[in-house]
Amino acid sequence: MKQQDINACDKSRIKRNNDTPDNKKVKALVLTGFGLNCDMETAYAFELAGAQAHRVHINSLVSGKADLNDFHILAFGGGFSWGDDHGAGVIQSLKLKNHIGEKILSFVNQGKLVIGICNGFQTLVNLGLLPGIDKDYKSRSVALTWNDCGNFRDQWIRMTVNPDSPCVFTKGFQTKISDIELPVRHAQGKFVTEASIIEKLIENNQVVLRYADENPNGSIYNIAGICDSTGHVFGLMPHPEAYNHYTNHPDWTRKRERIKRAFCKSDADESIRANEVSEDRSLTPGIRIFVNGVNYMASKI
Amino acid sequence: MVNKMISCIEIALKPELLDAEANGLKKKALEYYNIDIQDGRTVNLVTIDADLSEAELELARNQIFTNPVIQISSLVLNPSSSLTSFVFDTASHVFDTDSHALDTNSHAPLNIYFDWCIWVGFRPGVRDNAASTAMEAINDLLKRDFAEGEGVYTSKRYCIKGADLTRGDVEKIAGELLANPIIQQWKIFSKDEWETKQHTVLAIPKVALDHEPSFEIINIESDEMLEKISHERNLALNPRDIPVIRSYFLNDNVVKSRREAGLSGKDSNLSGNSDSENCSKNETVEAKTAIEGPTDVEIEYISQSRSDHCNHNTFRGIFRYHDPSTGENVVEDNLFKTYIQEPTLKLKEEKEWVVSVLWDNAGVGSFDNDHNYVITGETHNSPSNMEAYGGAITGIVGVYRDPMGTGLGSKLIMGSYGFCTGPIDYCGPLKANLHPRRLLDGVVEGVKDGGNKSGVPTTFGQTLFDEGYMGKSLVFVTALGIMPKKIGERPSHEKKTEPGDLIVMSGGRVGKDGIHGVTASSEVLSENTPAGHVQIGDPYTQKKMHDFLLVARDEELFDFITDNGGGGLSSSVGESAMISNGCEVWLDRVPLKYEGLDMWEIWVSESQERMTIAVKPQKINRFMELSKEHEVESTVIGKYTDTGKLHIKYHDKTCAWVDMDLLEKGFPKWEFDAVWISPTQRGFTEPVLKEPHDYNTLICDMLSRPNICSKEWITRQYDHEVQGGSVVKPLVGINRDIPSDASVIRPVLDSVKGLAFSQAILPWYSKIDAFHMMTCTIDEAVRRIIAVGGSLSHIGGVDNFCWPDIQYHPVKNPDGKFKAAQLVRACRALKDSCLAYGIPLLSGKDSMYVDGYLQGKYGESIKVSALETVQFSVTGVVEDSTKCVTLDPKLPGDLVYVLGSTSNELGASEYYELLGKTGLNVPKVCFDRFKVIYRALEKAVSSGIVASAHAIGRGGLATHLALSAISCGLGMEVDLSKVPLDAAKPDCAIPDNADGANQDNSYDVSQNKNGWQIKNTMLLFSESAGRFIVTIAPENKTLFEKLFSGMACRCIGKVTEDHCNLVIKGVYKDQGTWHHGQDTGSHEQDKNSEIIADISIESLESAWKSPMGGLI
Repeated sequence: MKQQDINACDKSRIKRNNDTPDNKKVKALVLTGFGLNCDMETAYAFELAGAQAHRVHINSLVSGKADLNDFHILAFGGGFSWGDDHGAGVIQSLKLKNHIGEKILSFVNQGKLVIGICNGFQTLVNLGLLPGIDKDYKSRSVALTWNDCGNFRDQWIRMTVNPDSPCVFTKGFQTKISDIELPVRHAQGKFVTEASIIEKLIENNQVVLRYADENPNGSIYNIAGICDSTGHVFGLMPHPEAYNHYTNHPDWTRKRERIKRAFCKSDADESIRANEVSEDRSLTPGIRIFVNGVNYMASKI
Repeated sequence: MVNKMISCIEIALKPELLDAEANGLKKKALEYYNIDIQDGRTVNLVTIDADLSEAELELARNQIFTNPVIQISSLVLNPSSSLTSFVFDTASHVFDTDSHALDTNSHAPLNIYFDWCIWVGFRPGVRDNAASTAMEAINDLLKRDFAEGEGVYTSKRYCIKGADLTRGDVEKIAGELLANPIIQQWKIFSKDEWETKQHTVLAIPKVALDHEPSFEIINIESDEMLEKISHERNLALNPRDIPVIRSYFLNDNVVKSRREAGLSGKDSNLSGNSDSENCSKNETVEAKTAIEGPTDVEIEYISQSRSDHCNHNTFRGIFRYHDPSTGENVVEDNLFKTYIQEPTLKLKEEKEWVVSVLWDNAGVGSFDNDHNYVITGETHNSPSNMEAYGGAITGIVGVYRDPMGTGLGSKLIMGSYGFCTGPIDYCGPLKANLHPRRLLDGVVEGVKDGGNKSGVPTTFGQTLFDEGYMGKSLVFVTALGIMPKKIGERPSHEKKTEPGDLIVMSGGRVGKDGIHGVTASSEVLSENTPAGHVQIGDPYTQKKMHDFLLVARDEELFDFITDNGGGGLSSSVGESAMISNGCEVWLDRVPLKYEGLDMWEIWVSESQERMTIAVKPQKINRFMELSKEHEVESTVIGKYTDTGKLHIKYHDKTCAWVDMDLLEKGFPKWEFDAVWISPTQRGFTEPVLKEPHDYNTLICDMLSRPNICSKEWITRQYDHEVQGGSVVKPLVGINRDIPSDASVIRPVLDSVKGLAFSQAILPWYSKIDAFHMMTCTIDEAVRRIIAVGGSLSHIGGVDNFCWPDIQYHPVKNPDGKFKAAQLVRACRALKDSCLAYGIPLLSGKDSMYVDGYLQGKYGESIKVSALETVQFSVTGVVEDSTKCVTLDPKLPGDLVYVLGSTSNELGASEYYELLGKTGLNVPKVCFDRFKVIYRALEKAVSSGIVASAHAIGRGGLATHLALSAISCGLGMEVDLSKVPLDAAKPDCAIPDNADGANQDNSYDVSQNKNGWQIKNTMLLFSESAGRFIVTIAPENKTLFEKLFSGMACRCIGKVTEDHCNLVIKGVYKDQGTWHHGQDTGSHEQDKNSEIIADISIESLESAWKSPMGGLI
């Protein structure tokens, strides 16, 4: 019985990807505390991408117990920081700005990477790190506000990826994948700003992700994610860390069935689709976002 | 010292931006009350009662409360320092408010046009989460702490345009849509009233208790006196307990030891004494002291721990069960022991994976070599019926503390919900405290905020409607956690308190909220139920505590942890002190929300988000340091001892001194008469029905039934993928909108091991027999988990009973004996099912008073009791979650099978309910026959030959074929003549009828009387248990049928590519061959059948979505 268990357990372990020594040098800091709640899976996603991930409480950064300089990637994860009571991400951004604002700025100016997911994206725009037009990391010129439906929504959604965006996290998508499916899970994801800013963002290819079939929150220009003009700071509403295994995808059982049949009847396009799927199995589109970031930093250090 | 200022920051969205909140209000006002609001805007108010300079306030306004991109705001200053605030009247739990009109010469409020303005704010003492985060932010920004008595309060102002709106309309909007008087207060302004400077109410709901904390001695000179006091103080003491309580406190030794402890009765000048014979000298003293009563702290402690909620007196009671139909006469002593404890302990012996059951806050099962999972389920009915949002959020956040307080504490990994309310479109005469529609809106939102903000995925849930729930609606909440098998060297599921350990309280502060919640839930709802126990949970504070405690656990900083739920410290400290056999509590150290609470209130308050933890003195410093780092408040409030006494002090004064074993001191068991009246004796019969002609409409109408139709609007509001382990989601199918049989998550991300979870609630069968309600409920839960890839070898159960009052009373509860018999039968069924399927009960709870008194059309009061209801939750470990299956058929050409046999079991079915009937033939579970099929399906799933599997539940085969068709977006052709029948139940076998009437295709039933005409509806809508719809690839046919050879399993049709309709062939000829369940081995059309239903999946989908599709 026990022995059986162990075997079953070993078999059940999922192998890490991109376990190259280079990536191991890359250290990612994932913020925790004050109502943040995606820190575990975000850290796991960085580890799948081969990096060393560290979950660090916001107060440890504030108190200096942890030093931002020891890290290469700073991740603002999902959750409900301070309950989102006074605008999503507002108090978190204020706390960080008041205590370690300068440190974060120098982190960004060193060309290190910042990713903000959902509540993290909301925090980045309140901090002013985004849209970061022409490296202006201080002005608060875009906002993520209440969905038009007025409510929280959890749904998987397809987005198109801008192939010309400087965003390092989506670089890998340029070659073959033009779109990506991820879950959105938010009540305040509606991207709003004035026309002139939108034009700039489009012109600079800072619009990275756009909702393809359905706009779940009423975002202007169907914006789901943007980056700064350097492509080092990336914010998005959907959750790539929640697509860390192929079984996260809502259609995975149907895809699995198709592959099985494709192998039986050697159907041409079926088997092509099958190949794509099996690729997603080894490395999900969600995790590729992290891999792109980690690979980029690995090449820099 | 600056003059105390009260100021208000008003914030609104820029005019050009859509105001979703106001739009929602507009929508509801129109849909619910046909009140036409032309336009509306929401203004958020942050009222600050603190010595802040204008500059500081402006800084806060700009930095914290105003987003320059989307918001406008204004700082309204009020120089007046003579502001009267609320007075909190402790006696009656009501608040006098003197709201304050302010002079706005300084700064004006936002100038937003309206015809009517509704201001809504909290009542004093009601949890204001946004205010506390605002204070945190202001603290951090201005580097200044709020002084004693200073505070922040949030409220809202709704600016409504609508030329034709009357004050009555606006009152309705305020009272029915925006505010609940139990926790909120509102003011309405017409345009003119506003302009004549009556505007901007700055009523700050500050709790001002002008009260010196004290305790008093309870007069126990007679049973009557104590009973009277019990009523006055809302102690809900059981009359049978009263003599026991008195004799304890009148006992000489007790009196002596209490006096030594400093509890002298000098203020007691009562005379007369029962047992002072044996006292010789200073008789007067003895006479006095002998009738010294307990303190109110002690009597409250006893009341809490003896309450049915904490002590489960009903399940541990004595039932005199009588069944006239069989002549059975038995005394059931302790249902819990016989039907829950014994089978579970037996199964624990047999099943290696069962780790810890029956004693802790939640049950523990083994997940893998390194982890255990933890599960428990709760109900939060009474509070939710008073304040739906507050009750529900408190419920979900509260049940999440149970896994946190199980063993040495676990990390939360998922939650689920079960809502049972009256029909949301109810328009009858009965006036529920909250209309079912409003109640449902509230509980849905409460569980949303509680679950989502806790960062826990809500992966499963059900919503039911029945008029019986108008008396008391049910809110089930279930929580699962995971923990490493070992913390250091210690097994994580063990914990203990030892003498010398410090008692630490972590998390929220204590206020008057939640006082007597436990005793209230142990009563039938009445106008006397104190609103004081209604609270608003604070998931943010609890999430911080959750994260902190997991770190503290892994640093091995504590040896015991439990949550503060029902009964507050009284329960958590009282129970944990049993282990060390004593404690000394310093109540004056307990951090309070506001001064002026009496000792007993501090002791029993149910203020939320608190854990009680035992920390060794040498570890307390590190514990406190870590707590500070996570900004969680922790306080040492006493120490565990081995004195055998519960000793409570306030400063140096003793206010409680009772023996730890007091509760075992011969309190009498509760007793019930239980008399079973069989359905036949009750006059139940099968309805006399003939075959319908319009099956298409019938099937669509079934799909539109409230208990069948789509409730996607609820599921979508719940984050079901946070933590990144979602494998089988609550909604599946090509359009991701069909409720899944069960959910599966990967709680350990680098493993493909899965945790499957499902639930069932089938209260309708209780109309006929609660025994079969229970077996069917458990069977459906089991089938659901098997359908996604679970295994009978590992199924853990959680039983949540919700029962109407079973204590017979000729006037108040004349059918109490029958309801008691229903409970006994349900418990018997529970044991049978658990032993048959091998389900240990990892956890369970009971809520025994789901009745309410509603006012009727003529002002009369009517008692409404809910159906005897059980929510049964099951969990199972899936070795390889990549083998899980979903219910949606996958590809055209696939074969459609029905597993399990169908009988004439339409009793209490959805079909009969549609026709306004109940019937008699309730579905029955045949465990042994079903188990064989479940095992075979397990094999089929794990061998990968099953494309889809779906448990057939409420609404029968037709309903679930329709859902399958919708879920794959393809057509289906099935033949009812192929559906396996139950030969063992003759009442469902098709009679051999050679008479010519069968030859003609007419449905003129007058032509034959053999009764086969009803068979189509029986096959379509019977709710026989033990059945699945399974689809497979044609190439797997032989293999699949080999697996099920000799079992009720037949191919009834196929998934089609040439059309997108559900096409059903009926029976109208002798189908004698069925008796042997033989399969012709072909699925081509049977000459004996003709098409009775042909519906496009679009029509099916729109019928299924129409009732609630528009809700958000």
